[in-house]
Amino acid sequence: MDRTLGGSFRFAPHLALLGALLASGLIGVCSPWIDPYYLDVMKTVGINVILAVSLNLVNGYTGQFSLGHAGFMAVGAYLSAAFTLFVAPHWLGPLGGGPFGQGLLFLTALLGGGLCAALAGLVVGVPSLRLKGDYLALVTLGFGEIIRVIFQNVDFLGGALGLNGIPAYTTIFWVLAFAAVTIFVVVCLVHSTYGRGFLATHDDEIAAEAIGLNTTHYKIVAFVVGAFFAGIAGGLYGHFKQTIAPVGFNFTKSIEIVVMVILGGMGNTPGVVLAAILLTLLPEVLRPVAEYRMILYSFLLIVLMIARPQGLFNFSYRRRKSA
Amino acid sequence: MDPVLAPPAAIPLLSLDRVTIRFGGLTAVNSVDLTVGEGERVGLIGPNGAGKTTVFNLITGVYAPTNGIIRFRGQGLAGLRVDQIVARGIARTFQNIRLFAHLSVFDNVRVACNLHRGTNAAQTLVRLSAFRAEEAAIARRVDSLLEIFNLGRFRDAAACSLPYGEQRRLEIVRALATQPKLLLLDEPAAGMNAAEKIELVRLIQQIQRQFQLSILLVEHSMKVVMGVCQRIIVLDYGLKIAAGSPAAIQSDPKVIEAYLGEDHQKNVAHH
Repeated sequence: MDRTLGGSFRFAPHLALLGALLASGLIGVCSPWIDPYYLDVMKTVGINVILAVSLNLVNGYTGQFSLGHAGFMAVGAYLSAAFTLFVAPHWLGPLGGGPFGQGLLFLTALLGGGLCAALAGLVVGVPSLRLKGDYLALVTLGFGEIIRVIFQNVDFLGGALGLNGIPAYTTIFWVLAFAAVTIFVVVCLVHSTYGRGFLATHDDEIAAEAIGLNTTHYKIVAFVVGAFFAGIAGGLYGHFKQTIAPVGFNFTKSIEIVVMVILGGMGNTPGVVLAAILLTLLPEVLRPVAEYRMILYSFLLIVLMIARPQGLFNFSYRRRKSA
Repeated sequence: MDPVLAPPAAIPLLSLDRVTIRFGGLTAVNSVDLTVGEGERVGLIGPNGAGKTTVFNLITGVYAPTNGIIRFRGQGLAGLRVDQIVARGIARTFQNIRLFAHLSVFDNVRVACNLHRGTNAAQTLVRLSAFRAEEAAIARRVDSLLEIFNLGRFRDAAACSLPYGEQRRLEIVRALATQPKLLLLDEPAAGMNAAEKIELVRLIQQIQRQFQLSILLVEHSMKVVMGVCQRIIVLDYGLKIAAGSPAAIQSDPKVIEAYLGEDHQKNVAHH
């Protein structure tokens, strides 16, 4: 059996993270020789991995069904874009600064966007996490839409048209590096005595409290960490597409991420990563069939859900039964 | 707890002082007095619906009493959350087993060690030597607990895949991992056969000795109650109708009428 999860801590998450960051750097260095189309697909994949893995901490591990992930993504996207558009020129000067200055600025923008999204997660999470199940789903859906509508009505941030001309700072390196960091944080959180509390909260809240766990704390931490990385993903998305509009962060986007989590197997990080990759690539692979693309995509989704309701890449159910 | 602040031995570990709870028009627990001393094994019995589990829910903070005071080590528990009361040293098991069904046996116990964890959430990410040492210590503690209770061979199995008796035992082990001073057992013998009940009595006595804690036991099986408890409290319709030694309780006519029923009275007459 999987003794690394059991407690004999032989797995070295920091080495894995370091390796992943080096690999991201290497791919970043090689990017001029990679077909721009593939590069763009890879960036989309990476951003979706960040979104799905972070939502999995909330919906999968902690079992709090949130439908507002796109709202937190919007917070990160808008605030980081506003930072690079309105603050950066004062900082970097008219020439746009060197690559190092730009990188530092972009990192600041991303982290700032992520922190603001985390704050939004805290503000939304504290009242709504009192609710459970369907009610929580509805309330988070409502909050996600409220965030979007707020951006739609702030003229300073472009209103319904959104923000344009965002500098294209999102390189493949940043996307892959942040995807690695997201996976690292979620895996490290969950694979610890502390982190088993997320799963315990999911499995049986009453029992979790009866062994001294503050379940409210776990729910809010999951929500805030999830929102933080959604914000990072939003920042990467904005500086990748170079244009953001409120309509891009609507309910459909949240559902898209939820589907990745469910298909990957709730609370199964490798599965969710693979599902995010697969579901991002699928529409691309289906491009040749043109207008039937989304029909086929939906059809495949239905087939996958029927064939593997426990999650496409979730084999632990069977393994546990045999144990 | 600070030894200076520790209450003198005269104060009982747990005391309920005229505790009442009403749900609408129903008085589920009516002005009940109850004490459990250090190292004592107390039984709480009564017919179905007498309010036994409600008393557990009052002690553990699931419900707040309408009237009366619950004290633990001399301090009132009013206003504390369930998890804060566990932190004070009161652990419980449930009438219908509540394990973390999808976690492994190991993780079920491990997650209960969080209460005495010194490292914080951020250290989970940095994983310096202090964190790794503590995780290893917790793993050792969990493994030794599992070995004591003969659950080591199920270590990596999902809790829901365990046989019924082992699930009951695991729930007790999980409660012990919170390092309680008082263990509340809610019908631990439910669904057990005679041989398993004898084993359970032995187990509860062993736990009490080895972990030096007090036990408050709710149980229908007289064999288990008589085998475990030094003192018994009888509830009926939320009222305490009797309290005393097992022998005294067995011969108390009020108890026989309310709890053991008329059949038993006939049996007693026969003997």
